[in-house]
Amino acid sequence: MVTSQNLLTEVESKELLRKAGIPVVEAKLARSKKEAISISRETGFPVVLKISSPDVVHKSDSGGVKLGLTNAAQVGKAYSQIMSSITQAHPEARIDGVSVQTMAPPGVEVIVGMSKDPQFGPVLMFGLGGILVEVLKDVSFRIVPVTERDAREMIKEIKGYPVLQGYRGQKPASIPALEQLIVKVSQFIENNPRIKELDLNPIFAYPDKAVAVDARIILE
Amino acid sequence: MFEEKLKEFEPIFYPKSIAVVGASATSIKTGSVWVEDLRSAGFPGLIYPVGFSGGRIGNLEILPNLRLIPGEVDYVIVAVPRQSALDLLDDCVAKNVKAVHFFTAGFSEMDTQQGRKLEEQMLEKARQGNVRIIGPNCIGVYCPEHKIPFVMGILGETGSVGFISQSGGIATKLVTIGMTRHINYSKGVSFGNGIDLDASDFLQYLAADSKTKMIGAYLEGTRDGIRLFNTMKQAARTKPLVVWKGGRTEAGAQAAMSHTGSLASSAAIWSGMLKQTGAIEVHSLEELTDTLLIFQELGRGQGTRVAIIGGLADGGGGNSVAAGDACMENGLEIPPLSFDARQGLSKLLGEVGGIMCNPVDVSQAQFRGLATLFQAIDLVVRDTISDIVLIQEDTDILLRVYSRKGLEEINGFLIELARRQDKPIIVVLPPGSIEAERLQIERPLLAASIPVFCSMERAAKAIYRLNQYSCWREAN
Repeated sequence: MVTSQNLLTEVESKELLRKAGIPVVEAKLARSKKEAISISRETGFPVVLKISSPDVVHKSDSGGVKLGLTNAAQVGKAYSQIMSSITQAHPEARIDGVSVQTMAPPGVEVIVGMSKDPQFGPVLMFGLGGILVEVLKDVSFRIVPVTERDAREMIKEIKGYPVLQGYRGQKPASIPALEQLIVKVSQFIENNPRIKELDLNPIFAYPDKAVAVDARIILE
Repeated sequence: MFEEKLKEFEPIFYPKSIAVVGASATSIKTGSVWVEDLRSAGFPGLIYPVGFSGGRIGNLEILPNLRLIPGEVDYVIVAVPRQSALDLLDDCVAKNVKAVHFFTAGFSEMDTQQGRKLEEQMLEKARQGNVRIIGPNCIGVYCPEHKIPFVMGILGETGSVGFISQSGGIATKLVTIGMTRHINYSKGVSFGNGIDLDASDFLQYLAADSKTKMIGAYLEGTRDGIRLFNTMKQAARTKPLVVWKGGRTEAGAQAAMSHTGSLASSAAIWSGMLKQTGAIEVHSLEELTDTLLIFQELGRGQGTRVAIIGGLADGGGGNSVAAGDACMENGLEIPPLSFDARQGLSKLLGEVGGIMCNPVDVSQAQFRGLATLFQAIDLVVRDTISDIVLIQEDTDILLRVYSRKGLEEINGFLIELARRQDKPIIVVLPPGSIEAERLQIERPLLAASIPVFCSMERAAKAIYRLNQYSCWREAN
């Protein structure tokens, strides 16, 4: 059962990750339309708005995410739309507001996550984002602690690895940056045994870096 | 590493005396079978049958109680109902027994509260009394060097492969398959529920044991995953560790909130865990025995470039194509033979009807005599483009073309060739219409340390795994 005690919001999750040295697209909480607009101006357009609620797990499924907002008017409109969709889809949900963040330029989408295995304790997962992870289950696992070498192998092991090497003109993703990110997540998990599950989904992988665009932490 | 296990496990694998509880002179009880098995295997230590009915088994007197045994007892085999387990442990503690093996079943594997409770009580007694438990629900120790057979007297030759198995049935299959395929074991153990000594303990012992050069494992689960993980990590650095994980349950996937949680199947996590440790994962009894065989005979991989020779008498065309596919699909390379080798083959076999590139079809040799065939094989083996040579034989065809004597000559040549140079030779001998003859032909090859496989796929997978491990060792 997910309650506000054990599901951290995106803003809370990213703050923890950022402090642990894991690259994230920083998100700030806006409690009103006005705040959303002023944070957007500080952050710089284009921005993304996402519902911030301890009771909404699948944000985009219920109209809780608006992408590519290029000016204050669009941000204001998006804020209202999110609020009305969420109150319709989840009338009982407690709503903190919306998170505001820069719209990251497109990169290769990957997922890094953690869950606890009854026999081996915390395990990390790596995979490509989107359909590959959900339908084909093209993912690899390793037990925490994950070394750099383990991280490299878990990246290379997935069938979709060629996608990371640059496919049809797309720029290759930095494998060392992904390795570093995985190792840091492993250390983060070791230092925070209360974390029950974690998703960094998606992470955008670029030729020179990798950044978590969305994050979710569930505590025990 | 783990040297302390050698002394601790000496009374388990090399006991000076074994007591068998649950023996009877009149009825056929499991205990009596164990006693007979040890006797007929030639176990060099003392055997003490124990059973309430009294009497004798051969020249051995059946004592009514363990405590009445006059000398020291290292190892006890228990084949009495579980209700007696706790009393029996008291006897073992009183007698200063080192280890007790419970063949008896009916514990936690039944998934009952009662079974689990009894196991907890047994473990507590054993820990207090300083007795180690193997099992319950298992067939215990196999040590051909010390003439300890598996139940029903199954005993093969002594060798260098160690194994551990949660299942007694699979442990027995490993030994019996080994007896036909010439996979010879240093020692092995089936530890069943593993309430005290478990996979990690036995892996540590086998890693330290100088007579064990590689380890095979069949596992279904573990009570202490982190300990197993760390043990495997260390064991795989000392010797090849081949693991077959049975039971593909989805224990990890229940009630997950995250994407990761919903994708975390037990099988996927075990696979990742095994890769992390450097163990070689296999997925069936065939793959396990194939991999152990190639490690036993070749020790380490020297490369994945293969030369394939087919059509020793006939039927080379399609089989060679299929052989090439099987190798490529399993990660091996099939480089074309060198120009010199191809020219040499053309001279020997003529221009028409053969394939001289790789795979090589030498079927034309049947019209030119065995000496030509041997020269052709020798030429391919000597060509430096390959690291290993695979030879496809077919019992049905070869017996018809060359007769038994000719086929023996061919294999005699292969044995001699394998001995006089360094490149490994592997024979693929698939089943056909005459299985008994096939096994007879296979035996001398295996006895001469030439690995024989039933199919090209199985040979290719084994070669790939051998090399995978060698690469990993070099990098670590």
